[in-house]
Amino acid sequence: MTCEECLSALETESLREMTSDSAVIQHCATCPDCARVTTMVRDKEYETATVLNSLPPMSDPVTVAETAGLTDQRRRVGGVVVTLSAIAGAIVIWIVSATMVVPGLYRAGVIGGAPPPSGVRTETMQLSCLSPQQAADVIDPYIRGHNSRFYVPSSGISAITVRGTPDELAKSRDLITKFERDPNAACRATATRLRNTMEAVDGAFGDANSEPVVAPSPPTGKGPGLFGPTPGPTLLAPDKATTPPKKK
Amino acid sequence: MQVQPYIPAMKLFRSRKLRVEEASLPARPTLAQREAHAIDAQLASRAAAGDDSAFTTLVTRYQPAVFRWSLTFANDPDEAEDIAQEVFVRAHRRLSQYRSDGSLEAWFYAVTRRAASQMRRKAKRRTRLALSPGARPAREVYTTDPGGRVDRERATALIHEMFSNLPPRQREIFDLIDLQGLTPAEVADRTGMKPASVRANLFKARKSIRARFLATHPSYSELRK
Repeated sequence: MTCEECLSALETESLREMTSDSAVIQHCATCPDCARVTTMVRDKEYETATVLNSLPPMSDPVTVAETAGLTDQRRRVGGVVVTLSAIAGAIVIWIVSATMVVPGLYRAGVIGGAPPPSGVRTETMQLSCLSPQQAADVIDPYIRGHNSRFYVPSSGISAITVRGTPDELAKSRDLITKFERDPNAACRATATRLRNTMEAVDGAFGDANSEPVVAPSPPTGKGPGLFGPTPGPTLLAPDKATTPPKKK
Repeated sequence: MQVQPYIPAMKLFRSRKLRVEEASLPARPTLAQREAHAIDAQLASRAAAGDDSAFTTLVTRYQPAVFRWSLTFANDPDEAEDIAQEVFVRAHRRLSQYRSDGSLEAWFYAVTRRAASQMRRKAKRRTRLALSPGARPAREVYTTDPGGRVDRERATALIHEMFSNLPPRQREIFDLIDLQGLTPAEVADRTGMKPASVRANLFKARKSIRARFLATHPSYSELRK
């Protein structure tokens, strides 16, 4: 065995398993350099093993056992306290967030979409004369805010719901009230008035013996003027006599 | 020309595999070991039920072993004492989890490994957080026994000399096999590693430790080239 082989063996082999008839020991018997390093390695490992294996613990076992019991008990209590504190903290955080933080964020518009502007209200107005669509047509130009809108019921209920600022609501209410109370509205007409109106119309267009309407003579540039007194009877004003009525 | 006898290659392979497997198996427990195991199991069940005297007996039985194991993971005997104390605190809490079909010694070793590993991580964190790690004062050995004090200082010096350059796993395996005399199979069983990994780590550890001593050989550097 060469020194190189001996050193290679010494690098990784167990010294305990090297018996007197092993190649390394036999080489060491003839090579003082290898014998010296082999002895050094063996002594160092032996000394380390002896010192570490024979070093007794300083602590008394009874004290160690008592300390272990007390420490364990203290850790158990600490664990319970930490757990309870965590639960209490979580509950407090939940309450604070539910009562203060979330509403604040909602008001600030961070969560839950855009916040409703202050003063926006919703009002449903009953209609007695106008239809919901007519009322919507009336108030549509005035309900132009970002969050303002009106709802026309689809079930036939005679009402309209308006959502908007107080000003928009007041304007809508005024307009709807004005049109609702208009005495000339069709829904306000009484039966007598309706009959009179119809008779008047019939009287104007339904008389077969009435004289035909004569159109005024074209202007000649002479005489009293364009709309001056003209001879003969005139049934209609000149501006309404451009087209003669058809004879039935 | 001499005719070689026919030996099937698979037969050779099987026999070699069998030998390796047999060498990797832990030895069968002796009668004394079985008796000790029965006593340990009884003490552990009593201690888990709250019997303080049984727990004290367990500590008395296992404190030297736990302290010895802790020396492998620690940098000095004082740190090993801390680790041993932590091991028994954990044992007090988790002794009910010990199953009596296994060895209590192996269970204590596993607890020691885990505790040492966690304490090492904590120590690293503290060192990182400290402004100057070098400013940490050296530990004093508080003992009234002059001989014990010398032994502890010597142990600290040896730990630094032998293990300072070794990773924890190599340090552990070298200590268990070369210094405490366990077999690779026992170490594999105790650490949960494969026997091949144990051997590989052992070779690396030996190489690293012995290189320092072999370097004093006059022709070591030339031979290594």
